[in-house]
Amino acid sequence: MSSDLIFSNVSKRYIVRHEVDDDATKHPWIRKLNALRKRRDEFWALRDVNFAVERGETVGIIGHNGAGKSTILKLLANITAPTSGEIVINGRLSALIEVGSGFHPELTGRENIFLNGAILGMGRREIASKLESIAEFAGVKAFLDVPVKRFSSGMYVRLGFSIASHLDPDILLLDEVLAVGDAAFQEKCLQRIEGLRRAGTTIVFISHDLAAVERICDRVILMRRGEVAATGNPRDIISLYQEQIEPSRINTMKTAVEDDRAVIESLAFYTPSGLRPSVFHTADPLVARIDYVAHEEVRDAVFEIFVRTGDLTEMCQLTTETSGSPINLPVGPGTLEFHCDELSLQPGMYHANVCVKERLASEAINWQYHAATLRVDPGRITRGQFYQSNRWKLLRQAHSATSAQNGAGEAERPPATRRPSLTPTS
Amino acid sequence: MALAEADLVAAGVGRDGPRRTKVIRPVAFSIRDLWAGLMGLSAYADLLVVLSAHRLKIRYKQSMLGIAWAVIQPVALMLIYTLVFSVFTRIKTPGVPYAVFAYAALLPWTFFSTSLTNATNGLVSHAQLVTKVYFPREILPISYIVAALVDLLIASIVMSGLMIYYHVSLTPQVLWLIPVTLVMAAFTTACSLIFSAMQVRVRDIGMAMPLVLQLWMFGSPVVYSLRQVPERFRDYYLLNPMVGIIENFRAALLGNPIDSHSLVISTVLSVVLLPLSYLYFKRVEATVADVI
Repeated sequence: MSSDLIFSNVSKRYIVRHEVDDDATKHPWIRKLNALRKRRDEFWALRDVNFAVERGETVGIIGHNGAGKSTILKLLANITAPTSGEIVINGRLSALIEVGSGFHPELTGRENIFLNGAILGMGRREIASKLESIAEFAGVKAFLDVPVKRFSSGMYVRLGFSIASHLDPDILLLDEVLAVGDAAFQEKCLQRIEGLRRAGTTIVFISHDLAAVERICDRVILMRRGEVAATGNPRDIISLYQEQIEPSRINTMKTAVEDDRAVIESLAFYTPSGLRPSVFHTADPLVARIDYVAHEEVRDAVFEIFVRTGDLTEMCQLTTETSGSPINLPVGPGTLEFHCDELSLQPGMYHANVCVKERLASEAINWQYHAATLRVDPGRITRGQFYQSNRWKLLRQAHSATSAQNGAGEAERPPATRRPSLTPTS
Repeated sequence: MALAEADLVAAGVGRDGPRRTKVIRPVAFSIRDLWAGLMGLSAYADLLVVLSAHRLKIRYKQSMLGIAWAVIQPVALMLIYTLVFSVFTRIKTPGVPYAVFAYAALLPWTFFSTSLTNATNGLVSHAQLVTKVYFPREILPISYIVAALVDLLIASIVMSGLMIYYHVSLTPQVLWLIPVTLVMAAFTTACSLIFSAMQVRVRDIGMAMPLVLQLWMFGSPVVYSLRQVPERFRDYYLLNPMVGIIENFRAALLGNPIDSHSLVISTVLSVVLLPLSYLYFKRVEATVADVI
């Protein structure tokens, strides 16, 4: 198999300039002069990076912020040059990075398609032949002769993606672009990418969205501090990365509040049958198990779990405060389980904080941050902020009274729809 | 959706031609880069066309006078200079009325100054694009030059009106406009490449540009003729490539003899400067996204 992309010993250095912090007692002119003499620091965004991407392969690149992911993307897209080493690219490469940045508000949709297409490297004739399809895909066909400043932000984004996705590249670079548009359009984008993939396009996907990486990629490269830390099949590398986030699943907890009366030892998520999968799906049942040790007797204790997103938005809370009978903790270890019938969380990575307190106390007895990570993949697919569990029932069927009875009942979850198939179904 | 899928598959079949291999290396300052740069540029010829057209469209899209703006600037300058230099004080102009004399020089000068003013900011004003998408960056400054060239053509219509009004007739000398314009375009491109690249690191360039252009204009034979420059300054004066360009642009239009001495100097300077400026630009281009 031939390689479409080869990185050999690629390094990239950035020069970071700092303002020299200066003595306020000096004359302002002297300070001004000193300010010109900025301190230069070197920062190696990539160091001796080697990898190859085979033809037709879909490779994901993951890592923390600053691990070198976006530098790789910029180098591949030729936006900036490496400091040393060599990059070989076989074929037409295009990047889907923050689409729509080349739009001019005064120009019409049609004019912008030509402008943007040309910026992305399409010839005028090529654009003209794809104009229909681009407008169709973006759903702006009726607005082609309207200046794009009159477009809604959704139309703007859709048009941007549509142009870029009509490039027919040999190699496609994907950033976090999948995070644009509404759910329906995202699904359309995924289908488009899947189509390109089946047509044999080599894809490099750089993302924080581990679920999407696992879904799309054949192979994953894990970057750490500018170097390739590991490469291999998505499942292994992603779990390696997750262990990096929390080296051992239990001991990543950061103790925030602590007195010695009771300590939370661990928080973990299980299925009702006692399995501990690495991934849950929207609408799956979930059991959250807290293991604790009480060193003194605690009367009327309250346990709470807070589920947060990566950017610290609080998604939900599980608490014993408002339900059930009071809990008294005798001295010794114990376990408490929260049972959720259907997980409402939409796909994503979540962190859980856990605490135990006395009902009327202002301070918690023990509070653990990042006690566990919860990864949710698409299960029952719904739009919106969260999945609302529901039953449905068909009333007043016109023709057959008996079928109404059959149609009623809980919405079944056929196995096929638990994980969305990537092939277009419409 | 099904339709789009079919397109893709068809495109997939068609794509199995020979693939271009691109190698990205750290920047070096070599002749090979010059060649590679030009090849890259030719692949993006369509972008240059679209972007230049875009410049013109944008300029005239929400303005009432529209395309007339290409004419207003040189005409206004011509009027004021005619007032100052042929009514208030008299500058001798051989054979032609001052208005024609001045306008014939303001055509190339307006082209030069408009190009340079816009092109200098060409990279910086497109920082959004430059940090997101690759295309040969020189297309940004050059597109302003192409647009200015169209403005030059439009402004020339007024020139023909003036010539008819003052009964100045064209001679075969007018053919010299072609080489002179080429030299002018080359020199303008060289300056634009240098200044736009410098502007990325040192924004003072853009600040200084209006002043520099003002001084430059009075250091070029726009409101006076080359012959009025004292002999002893002439050698230094001729080092300004715009001297040979403007003097001969006017000579070609008005049917005066070509001043080959100044034209040769301008040509040689431009031809040497253009590849050097291009190499410099390409060097800056390689890391422009990190700095801009």
